[in-house]
Amino acid sequence: MLQPISVSLESLNLITLSPMLVIIGGALLILIIDLLKKDLDTSLYVMLSVLVLFVDFGATLSLGINERGFFDVMLLDGISIVAQLLILIASMLFIPLALTGKKFHEYSYPEYFALFLFMVGGFQFMVATDNLILIFIGLETASLALYTLIAMHNTRGALEGAMKYFTMGAMAAGFFVMGAAAIYAVTGAVELYDIAKVLQTRIAEPGIMIPVVGGALLMMVAIGFKVSLIPFHLWTPDVYEGASAPMAGYMSIVPKVTMMVVAMRVLGLYVDMGVESVRWMIIALAVVTMTLSNMMALVQRDVKRMLAYSSIAHAGFVMAALALDTTKAYSSIFLYYGLFLFTNLGAFAMLWISRNNKGHRYHPRYHHPYEKFSGLIHYSPAGAVIMAIFMLSLTGVPPFSLFWGKLYVISATVDAGYIWLAIVMVLNSAIAAYYYLKLIVYMFLKPPAPGIETIGINKSKPLVVIVGISAAVTTLSIFIMQPLLSYITYMVSVSGY
Amino acid sequence: MENILSVLIFFPLVAALLGFVVRKESIRVYGLTVAAIEFLLTLWLWFAFDPNNAGFQFIEYIPLVSDFGINYYLGVDGISLFLVVMTGLITLIGIIGLGDVKRLKNMILSLLVLETAMVGVFVSLDAIVFYLFWEFSLVPMLYIIGYWGGERRLYAAIKFFLYTFTGSLIMLVGMLYVAYIYQSVAGVWSFSITDWYALVLPISVQKWLFWAFFIGFAIKVPMFPFHTWLPYAHGQAPTIGSVILAAVLLKMGTYGFVRFSLPMFPDASVAYILPVAVLAIIMIIYTAMVAYAQEDMKQVIAYSSISHMGVIILGTFAMNAEGITGSIFLMLSHGIVSGALFLLVGVIYDRRHTKLMSEFGGLAAVMPKYAVIFGIMLMASVGLPLTIGFVGEYLSLAGFFRISPIMTLLGGTSIILGAIYMLSLYKKSFFGPVTKEENKKLTDLNGRELAALVPLVAIVIWLGVYPKPVLVPIDNSVKALVTFMEEKAQTPEAKAIIHVSTSTKEAK
Repeated sequence: MLQPISVSLESLNLITLSPMLVIIGGALLILIIDLLKKDLDTSLYVMLSVLVLFVDFGATLSLGINERGFFDVMLLDGISIVAQLLILIASMLFIPLALTGKKFHEYSYPEYFALFLFMVGGFQFMVATDNLILIFIGLETASLALYTLIAMHNTRGALEGAMKYFTMGAMAAGFFVMGAAAIYAVTGAVELYDIAKVLQTRIAEPGIMIPVVGGALLMMVAIGFKVSLIPFHLWTPDVYEGASAPMAGYMSIVPKVTMMVVAMRVLGLYVDMGVESVRWMIIALAVVTMTLSNMMALVQRDVKRMLAYSSIAHAGFVMAALALDTTKAYSSIFLYYGLFLFTNLGAFAMLWISRNNKGHRYHPRYHHPYEKFSGLIHYSPAGAVIMAIFMLSLTGVPPFSLFWGKLYVISATVDAGYIWLAIVMVLNSAIAAYYYLKLIVYMFLKPPAPGIETIGINKSKPLVVIVGISAAVTTLSIFIMQPLLSYITYMVSVSGY
Repeated sequence: MENILSVLIFFPLVAALLGFVVRKESIRVYGLTVAAIEFLLTLWLWFAFDPNNAGFQFIEYIPLVSDFGINYYLGVDGISLFLVVMTGLITLIGIIGLGDVKRLKNMILSLLVLETAMVGVFVSLDAIVFYLFWEFSLVPMLYIIGYWGGERRLYAAIKFFLYTFTGSLIMLVGMLYVAYIYQSVAGVWSFSITDWYALVLPISVQKWLFWAFFIGFAIKVPMFPFHTWLPYAHGQAPTIGSVILAAVLLKMGTYGFVRFSLPMFPDASVAYILPVAVLAIIMIIYTAMVAYAQEDMKQVIAYSSISHMGVIILGTFAMNAEGITGSIFLMLSHGIVSGALFLLVGVIYDRRHTKLMSEFGGLAAVMPKYAVIFGIMLMASVGLPLTIGFVGEYLSLAGFFRISPIMTLLGGTSIILGAIYMLSLYKKSFFGPVTKEENKKLTDLNGRELAALVPLVAIVIWLGVYPKPVLVPIDNSVKALVTFMEEKAQTPEAKAIIHVSTSTKEAK
């Protein structure tokens, strides 16, 4: 007969699960409300979701730092809390974008919002653990929900994108599991701190580097798929183009931040142990990613595809910081994404405002060709100025927010002694300036396009508010830099990075 | 008013934001008033400035990102004071001279935003704040060239933006590296230039940092071989754009050399006098020859700008008080003279919608006032004694004479070549019979144009005859700079070349 296992409730430290419990409870609540009463308006579900996210935000803020719980599977170190806060802020900004001027198919289903909350829960699990199995479960929960959310946009492009993303995502998941298995085979552990301990002792053994680095390589492929690094990026432009604009903006931030945290934990372990081959693989991926994606963004004719390639380039830019293994570099990743979040979501929200729900209007192939924005300044000066602010911020022109992010990432690179890498990074920023400028040139310097007066077709008060918040943060970021920087640096350094 | 520098920076910006409310019909008066107030404020700064104090004055210091050492740190010394005053003057003159352009409101508001950036560059003592204004100045200029420019304005605007943006990003890496070294020596982050001055860098580090900063500044100046964006920018820009570009934006580059490169990397600066001087001389001679070959009046002046910037670089790298004082004075005089020349070309372009010299001839008979003012400015540009152009050019070359008489001789050809291309321009356009029928009915300068040009003529003659009020404060700060460089220099060669002169007084 099996001995009953006695586990005291205190030792489980269930409080560590509270943010996820809140959000899963919230998602179930939405489903229950839908069961009890039909025909409720989208706005109810939107606001309920925001409230749930808000409570979740509070629960995350109140967590103690560096606590473990639930059989030591949950890990609440500084970076997991910062990452969760970023995820929640992005989600809170994203959800009100459902309250559009035109009606879109997906928002008529309450399930959309329930799925969305489940997805956020999945992302939160991913960053709040160092157990490879739980990371995988979080990843799959979030990804499956995300595929569905994309498909619910219900256009041909959206279905195509969702299928593509699903296939690629499944492959990435496979690589992740194989990587984890390889590491498990060597170390007999699935928890990263155990893995580190075992590797520490066995690192000198002959022949061990093959499975160890092989495992890292497989993991890197999985991470590369999710963060969309070149050469694993092929799905990105099509999926972004197919998905609704806010969803594309969301995908350029939240899944990437979470995967970045996973990469920090997994690959950071290797870099920290001094496995130089992994470090060089990261640097090579980062350099290839930013350079090639910038080249490809140059020739795009659709603004949304351009932004897709630009978000790949930004991911590559940040990825470089991962190889440096300093507190400053890790902090710079969060700082960068914290600022990128507002700018990029704002830019995609601007595309969303200009979207109609009747298919292609300006171009047989694209929803948002550059020509659509030609001469925008004459019809919507405020819209053009705000879009220009987002573009200048993405370029890295001070005083807009991403300049400070870039400054900090490049500074971290210089500090770590990789001056050539810093030069590559700034040259890439210079290349990128061209395609962002191109949109500004269209908006400000070209004559108005026919049909430009309908460009604000999808405008509504909530959209304007979200864009306004993003623009305000982007413009005035210098005043929040000091608190943001000291908070992030503190959180990263207490996590031991 | 202790915080006058902040007022100078933010007054035009606030005015530009408020200006959105002002109706189109009244915007010209609004712009004029704001620019005039700003200019008066810069004059106030000049009168409140203590010319005997060589250090920074009107210092303001507010921490922005204290963990990373970024501070809102402003101050002005003799080197930057007159550049600020000139910025105020040129913006005001530019707005006065603004003809009837489309969307005047957007133009005036962009000019005011640009003025904020330009003043900010000259008074920032924090490298990141400096960089912020430096980069931000590109945005309004992009709009001005790209919207009001000529046929190929988009190409010119984008080329201008990308060229300078790339250069300054490389400079940014240099700045971050200096900050990193400062942090590893001092234990705290700082981007304050005065803190950086105190940093004695190893020679090998100085050498590559010198080039990192050099690329940023040289593209802005623009030095050969990075000058190719400028003829496009000038060729396509509207009159006001060319005026601001030539008068102020280019000076940011040479100012950067004086503010950053010389005091921070004295040994490297001395070590690289030869390559820099060779580039400067190529610039002077080559672009002067190109200027002679142009058929477009505006292009002649654009290339002559590059040529004169070469003399400024020579003066800066003379490493002694005469040379540097001369180069700063030449920045001012070139700003005023080239600004005036671009305005003058704009005048004729407004009337005839062409700038080709072959279209003119005998203008002196039709437009006598115009011809007189053009003549005076042309003489000043060539460097005729008793005009503003002479003082700076003479001092710069006299300073460089101590480094190398041969190269000074080559640099001095700037005056001869300048006389050749400018006089031939004047001959082709103003003298001889009136060949074209259209030119016979041209009207002479009107009141608005005279109001813009006459003050410049007055300044050209006043400072040409009696430059002392401007030279003394510049000279004090420059002497302090040179003394500082001499103390800081590590190699004996550098100490020997950096010369704290006593003969400046005679030169005056």
